[in-house]
Amino acid sequence: MSKSNTQKAIEWFDYRLPIFSFMKHSAVEYPTPKNLSYMWNFGSLAGIALVLQILTGIFLAMHYKPDVNLAFDSIQHIMRDVNSGWLIRNMHMVGASFFFIVVYIHMARGMYYGSYKGPREVLWWMGVIIFFLMMATAFMGYVLPWGQMSFWGATVITNLLSVIPFVGEHVVIWLWGGYSVGDATLNRFFSLHYLLPFVIFAVVFLHLWALHTHKSNNPVGIDLKKDTDFIPFHPYYTIKDIFGLGVYLIPFTFMVCYAPEYLGHPDNYIPADPMVTPAHIVPEWYFLPFYAILRAVPDKLLGVIAMVAAIAILFILPWLDTSKVRSARFRPLFRPLLILFFANMFVLGWVGAKPPEGIYIVIGRLATFYHFAFFLILPLVGMFEKPKPVPKSL
Amino acid sequence: MKTLFTLALATLIPAMSFAAGGGAAPVEQDWSFKGITPDWDKEQLLRGYTVATQVCMSCHSFKYISHRNLMKAKFTEADVKALAADMDLGINDKLISQLTAEDAEAVYGKSIPDLSLMNKARGNGADYVFALLTGYEDGVPAKYAHDFESGLPDGGYFNHAFPGHVIAMPQPLNDDQVEYRDGTSATVEQMAKDVTYFMQWTAEPELLARKKLGVYIMLYLLIFTALAYALKRQIWKDVH
Repeated sequence: MSKSNTQKAIEWFDYRLPIFSFMKHSAVEYPTPKNLSYMWNFGSLAGIALVLQILTGIFLAMHYKPDVNLAFDSIQHIMRDVNSGWLIRNMHMVGASFFFIVVYIHMARGMYYGSYKGPREVLWWMGVIIFFLMMATAFMGYVLPWGQMSFWGATVITNLLSVIPFVGEHVVIWLWGGYSVGDATLNRFFSLHYLLPFVIFAVVFLHLWALHTHKSNNPVGIDLKKDTDFIPFHPYYTIKDIFGLGVYLIPFTFMVCYAPEYLGHPDNYIPADPMVTPAHIVPEWYFLPFYAILRAVPDKLLGVIAMVAAIAILFILPWLDTSKVRSARFRPLFRPLLILFFANMFVLGWVGAKPPEGIYIVIGRLATFYHFAFFLILPLVGMFEKPKPVPKSL
Repeated sequence: MKTLFTLALATLIPAMSFAAGGGAAPVEQDWSFKGITPDWDKEQLLRGYTVATQVCMSCHSFKYISHRNLMKAKFTEADVKALAADMDLGINDKLISQLTAEDAEAVYGKSIPDLSLMNKARGNGADYVFALLTGYEDGVPAKYAHDFESGLPDGGYFNHAFPGHVIAMPQPLNDDQVEYRDGTSATVEQMAKDVTYFMQWTAEPELLARKKLGVYIMLYLLIFTALAYALKRQIWKDVH
């Protein structure tokens, strides 16, 4: 059979830049464990959520004005005058929350099935870096509408850096570009909010590179040796991911069209006013657990350290966990402690939304204690736990 | 893992909603724009517009709104031209109050908020605005007397819905303050309901388009997802 002209053109190109073989190797033939559960859908969903944020963001940036006198009005211009502007903005706004939901589930899956363990430590690190970058991006994005919560959230969070010994005050002024959150701050936050998603995109590429080097972990958590344990990514996981995308887009569309403000705060529809402080300054819901940890520590400097450490500790998780068994399925001690850790995250999130007074302080401190205690007892858990028998193959 | 996931979803939903904070929680009203496929009631919008332009605009502006915008809510070009002409405005002029910021500051001691977005800028939105407009009392009710032993502060009025119960805005609505074009009796409650309805439109002029589009996308996605699931089953049937 003779080759078609298209095939010849593809081969000509591929010989010079093997992009077609690369795609075939990494997205079509790519061997994937055949026993992945639906929990493995959240990685590709996170990728799609990122792309949706970038696309909607590019269109919003065409109409948004990063100027303290124009920013708030430019959002209303998008909502009222730009064709389908309301749709693009609602998608971006709801999309941020959904991106975090997806990533939180993706991280929880990684912890439950021990996906952070060797040889996937660097893959896990890339994930933690992506998470930090996402939080920075989301924080700066929330400042852009220049409502009351934008301004006061930015003021509270940037002020945290003033606790850095000796240079803290200078660092904050340098970050603001002035003596308070103002026009210079808004401009640079817009610039960085546009830049960081592309940095995330690059780290996602490294994340996938590391993933494809040692392939996906799986619910049993064992190294798969036999060829029959794998199936090609296409069509098996492409169709599974497409189905997962449909399931994801249904609640997403519901929020975009029927409850776009549900996850937001009404105060952000009041233009920023440096002279009027809102009754309660609350961050976006996805920051609440870490906000609770910040406030649980009575000392300001230690509070900031605790908040950062609460996430950064994930970097050393692969070494804190000394067990040879990956999947929590076979770990009778680790499993309940991890489930409690997840439940504890919800407690922290709930406390983070409450004013720091009375019983909330006590609960916040207990939950903060458990958050760190979980990580710190992991080496012992690995030593004393008697794992259930782990199957040798699927 | 599955039970954990369900548990997570169940706790996530209430954890994410914020309390409004402040005054008494307003009574939930039966607004016609709440449903999945609502439609603007032109008569009620016009009544609300009457209150907004004849009462509210003595002090407040609707700076994001011009008469032309009403053409996206069932008003014809002739309608809006006539309404605008009554106010000596062109149909592209924004609804700006005659009261300047300086005069407002002098009279009320504070700036006067723009009303275009008010229904989105307060917890419980329209329910709160309606409760506020109908929540005035002459003097302090006995129930709250212990909070105001030396009476209300100067320039303050008692309001049930307002956080802290003291509001700088005097009671804006009184019976028969406006004359409705459709002859509806202009009670305080009627006017409050109509103007709140109008303010929902000024806050979310895209509301109808948004909800209508939602129905189509959801139907599309349900079919798409069902087909994707069937295809997934088909492709995976030999994997064991």
